[in-house]
Amino acid sequence: MVMADSRIVKIENLTKRFETFTVLENISIDVTHGENLIVFGRSGQGKSVLLKCIIGLMEPDAGSIFINDKNILKSSLKEINEIRKNIGFLFQSSALYDSMTVRENLAFPLKRHFTEMSSGQIDEKVRYTLELVSLEEAIDKMPSELSGGMKKRIGLARSIITDPELMLYDEPTTGLDPITSKEISELILNLQKKLKMTSIVVTHDLICAEIIADRAIFLKNAKIAYEGTIKALTDSNDPFLKNFFSHEIVKA
Amino acid sequence: MKLPKEKYGKRLTYSDYIYNFFATITGLTIFNIEFAKQAFLPPYEISEIKKHMVELGVKTFGIVSITGFIIGLVLTMQSQPVMLKFGAGDFLPGMVAISVVRELGPVITALIFAGRVSSGIGAEIGSMRVTEQIDAMEVTAVNPFKYLVVTRVIATTMILPILSVYVNVIAIFGGFIAVTISDGMNFRYYIDSVINSIEFGDLIPGIAKTFVFGYIVGLVGSYKGYTTEGGTEGVGRASTTSVVLSSLLILIFDMILVKISLWLWPTLG
Repeated sequence: MVMADSRIVKIENLTKRFETFTVLENISIDVTHGENLIVFGRSGQGKSVLLKCIIGLMEPDAGSIFINDKNILKSSLKEINEIRKNIGFLFQSSALYDSMTVRENLAFPLKRHFTEMSSGQIDEKVRYTLELVSLEEAIDKMPSELSGGMKKRIGLARSIITDPELMLYDEPTTGLDPITSKEISELILNLQKKLKMTSIVVTHDLICAEIIADRAIFLKNAKIAYEGTIKALTDSNDPFLKNFFSHEIVKA
Repeated sequence: MKLPKEKYGKRLTYSDYIYNFFATITGLTIFNIEFAKQAFLPPYEISEIKKHMVELGVKTFGIVSITGFIIGLVLTMQSQPVMLKFGAGDFLPGMVAISVVRELGPVITALIFAGRVSSGIGAEIGSMRVTEQIDAMEVTAVNPFKYLVVTRVIATTMILPILSVYVNVIAIFGGFIAVTISDGMNFRYYIDSVINSIEFGDLIPGIAKTFVFGYIVGLVGSYKGYTTEGGTEGVGRASTTSVVLSSLLILIFDMILVKISLWLWPTLG
């Protein structure tokens, strides 16, 4: 049994519906400090919805979500924003601000949350974080000048610049070639080790999962259908899992 | 803030259009209340407001200059034969000035501003919505309504009166060029006639209503952008409907504000 104080995320009986369609039903998940949890599932099975509920972008219809023992569904916007300062979110599309340079994109959360930091300190932190993702040379570029892989790296840099305790990744390797995809996955793992973060990663990418995961869950028909290590899931004799992972392996 | 969702698609029924009309009115009202709630709370994002004011001013400066000049020129050219026919040629500078200051300057500037700025705001915020940039702002605990909407609405409300006063001056100058070409009127005489014919009651309502028009342009563009759905098609729709709706609201509010100004300054009638 998981001790209460070791859990950073505790989700209890989470249900989310869109009109009559139930995307998530009575989902319960615990994530412990420092753990990397992978969320698998076919498209439209509510993986991204789960992440958006955790960060408070979507409101579930029932259930509770605790982050460091604070129920975000019963928190005010001010309290949610305090919780969010401790969470990083990497969007599928990277979601870099088009009108800002890479430097401004990275400095944006710092300027707003670390008002005591001087512009010199902010610049230093921006450069250090870009170094972590090996993209120091992109500092003055606009997002439109970056490739898909570079955008992911910059998106990742922006998410970790505030040193969050928890990172949420929404399909971090989608749309990237296998080599870049592997590089991004290794980068995520290295950063997680270096910065001692907890991660929840939504992905279809088995290679990414194998590199990052400590544990995985599989969403199917609005419920957690399978849970275990990646090896246990890929070695399973369950026909559905065999079918899913064989396709993933062929694709990879 | 929960905003009503409008219906989109290729097969909309009449009832869908009626629903969308009321959804827009309700949405704009909620958006308006949210603006009033957030505009006075810190952080005030002064640097963003300044940045938008400069951008919007620069973006529209050229087109309003040309339009203002042509309005003054054409109005004078069109009115001059009639005025001369009735022996009222001396009143021409005053007539042009009053027409421009009271109505043409503010309304034409606002309509051009709506076409240039409201569509831009709708498209910019709309594309931020569909590419998850607004969500990204929210998850970094930054209030996107405050950062994107409040700053733009304040900027449009502040910059349009300045542009409108500038257009008034340019239009009056356009009128002078027209009478000089046809009559060879002296500049000093023209300016004296303009100043003598304009009263305080002409200036204030004309300037005051541009604050309302600027607010409409910013609010409608932001609302349409903020509620964008449906990818790039949705961004295009947000841009187009921003112009149509803000232009329509400018004309409706002009009618209401003219009535109010006549009530406040009965001598204008």
